[in-house]
Amino acid sequence: MFEASTLEERRRYYREEWNVKELPDFIKKDLNKREFGFDHLGNGPNDRYRIFKTQDMIRRFMRYRSPFAAYCSIAFYNKPWQRGDWLKSELVFDVDAKDLPIRSCNCEGVCNICLNEARQIVLLILDTLRGDLGLKDIHMIYSGRGYHIRVLDEEVMTFDSEVRSQVLKYVSGAEAPKNKYVLENEVDQKPYELEHFLIPFGYPAVFTSRVKHSIMHITGKEKIENINTKLLKDIIKYRNLVEKGEWGLFKNKIGPIRYKNFVESMSQLNMGIVDAKVSIDLKRILRLPTSLHSKVSMKCMEVKNIENFDPLKEAVPKFVMERKDY
Amino acid sequence: MVSLSFLNPLSSEGEEIVREKGSLDHISDINAELLMVVRESESQKISNDSYIPQSYADLAVKRVEWYARKKNDKKYNHNDYAFLLNPEITEFDVISFYIAAQSVGIKFKPNSRETRLMIEAQGKLVEERLEKIPSYQRKEIVDNLLNQLVFEDNIPWTSIAELLGSKKIRLADLILDQGEVILEKDDFMDRFDEKIIGRPSEKMYDLLIGERIKIMIITRMIMQNTENYIKRVHDMASKIEPHPSLLQIADQITEKINESISYYSSSGGGFGGDIKASELVHEAFPPCIQKTIEGVGSGNRNDAIVLLLTSFISYARLYPSVFRNDISMKISDIDADLQITINEILPLIYDAADRCTPPLFEDDPQEKLNITAKLGFGVHTIPELKNEGESKWYTPMSCEKIKIHLSSLCKPDATCKNIGNPLSYYNRKRWELRKSGGKSKTNEDTKNDE
Ligand code: SF4
Ligand SMILES: [Zn+2]
Repeated sequence: MFEASTLEERRRYYREEWNVKELPDFIKKDLNKREFGFDHLGNGPNDRYRIFKTQDMIRRFMRYRSPFAAYCSIAFYNKPWQRGDWLKSELVFDVDAKDLPIRSCNCEGVCNICLNEARQIVLLILDTLRGDLGLKDIHMIYSGRGYHIRVLDEEVMTFDSEVRSQVLKYVSGAEAPKNKYVLENEVDQKPYELEHFLIPFGYPAVFTSRVKHSIMHITGKEKIENINTKLLKDIIKYRNLVEKGEWGLFKNKIGPIRYKNFVESMSQLNMGIVDAKVSIDLKRILRLPTSLHSKVSMKCMEVKNIENFDPLKEAVPKFVMERKDY
Repeated sequence: MVSLSFLNPLSSEGEEIVREKGSLDHISDINAELLMVVRESESQKISNDSYIPQSYADLAVKRVEWYARKKNDKKYNHNDYAFLLNPEITEFDVISFYIAAQSVGIKFKPNSRETRLMIEAQGKLVEERLEKIPSYQRKEIVDNLLNQLVFEDNIPWTSIAELLGSKKIRLADLILDQGEVILEKDDFMDRFDEKIIGRPSEKMYDLLIGERIKIMIITRMIMQNTENYIKRVHDMASKIEPHPSLLQIADQITEKINESISYYSSSGGGFGGDIKASELVHEAFPPCIQKTIEGVGSGNRNDAIVLLLTSFISYARLYPSVFRNDISMKISDIDADLQITINEILPLIYDAADRCTPPLFEDDPQEKLNITAKLGFGVHTIPELKNEGESKWYTPMSCEKIKIHLSSLCKPDATCKNIGNPLSYYNRKRWELRKSGGKSKTNEDTKNDE
């Protein structure tokens, strides 16, 4: 498992297993407006600016070249061969199991456990995208080492990087929520304190759920900025309160001053849940669904039912199952 | 009741006023009615004629001058401009809004300092005017304004993306549900009442949303519309011969803004007293800049030099208080003949570029053009006055951005804790250095006095 594939295996994959018909519809549609990129030797996608007018052209290319990795742009262009005349770009969130700021496995690369934790985070983000943000045309892709969430609602595809970064912060819980509020007619009075966990909707609720996920997965070995070992221990000691939803008690145990710092640190930590560079880059290329992630010998694929998705059952190519040590 | 066009001159009422009375031929004539409204405004100073706008043209200039001075001039006194908050002035104000916006649009680029100040002035006027309206009336006005500005019952958050891009509103500060920005109390109760336990939902509404968010959105939308209007004027200006008095007014606006900035620098600095351009203090550079100057490896090289270092060094040298002042300037506003830019700033940047591996200009010679562009002089090999304004003078990126794009350069030290931008680091550190080294200096001074 998770071993690189040989050229021979790649050839077999693209000849016997891969089928151009299985490209997701959202890729097949407007295919000729996207830029494609390939990595032939395993040292990065440096064969770029490629275009395919028809599905058959991709089919032939993949069969003959059996690339180490295949990518396509999240952007649509009138002149994709020069990345010219940009039209719009999907809004993407890249959740990589290897780069999660908190993962309970402590493995070197990726494993079952962190892949599953990445999937749980994807579910949380999905919930926010659908619920709070009301987005509908959302596709989940298993990338081989984590997940891509790709949003194709027309309203968001023309957003610039600035707006994308706001959305990114919202869905990953990367802003410390306000906790002091003033009433209009009481501007001179002491503000009301209203912690995020007392507000069961909107951004504060998003933040609460992300922090809860982190708290429940902390192992105690992490180095988190501004959280010392003592605080880290206390978080673990009292996290059963969070699990039961008794945040008020949890905050009491931590203490108000430490809690404030904790909220700050957590919001910064959450910035690492999703790879920000990917979300704000309008011209990114992303691994092509259905293609082979040769480094780990897994299929990159669209996931229809993320609640029950198990990559070890669904994303393993045949040649891996036929390997001797499988 | 206050007319909506007092707050939103781009409304249909506003347009109506302009259509009826907005001929450009007599805008510089003395207007007796205007004089009366101004003089009778509550707490308006009238001791000096220069306080009193005599004509539409005067008023147009005053609208921007007010804001520039409010921001820059320590001696700013609200009573010099009290008439701006007097609802009686509405008709005159609307007409002069259009005059000012057109003058600015004809003469200046959409990203110019003049355009920005005009837009910000409008935003500030909306805020202050609303604040002065008694709260029992304000609610209705706010609701009417909102109706006028948004056509749907609910605002989809995606429709205010422009405002989010402007960074004045954080997405996280809005209450969102099913893709909509929740603004009305009824709507709020419908959606969330059942979820809220242990405290009155209505109070929760007042705290989280209330008029505050509505006013924020209204203000930003009016500013955005003002910006769009100026852009339209600017695009059209190339096709039609502009009215000469508009050009004159544009010049007056520039003059007043320059005056206000010179008030600022002559009234001495606030914290740190570092308003004026001054020699670079290398010891006060933050870790990320130190590292960049030492030379950067291939991965981050281009961005580190072109984006981070170029903007940092130029602002640190010429205009370290840009964020505190919050007024955008051009390099030549400070370095009029570009001597400092050419002889001090560029060499520093080029040297750092040479120390990179591989040296930046060796494999990317066109990055020289990009550096010029980031200083505000368009895409050319070297900054020249005639090209100034073709691009924007880039302000240094925030620590947050550096942490995302150039994470290997950010090695925070103690001073980094309380700052959000390398430039603020520089100002603070310089101040600290001066404070700690300051004592000995004073001693020296006294010695000299003896
Ligand atoms: S915190 Fe900011 S100033 Fe300090 S090193 Fe990092 S980026 Fe530079
Ligand atoms: Zn793992």
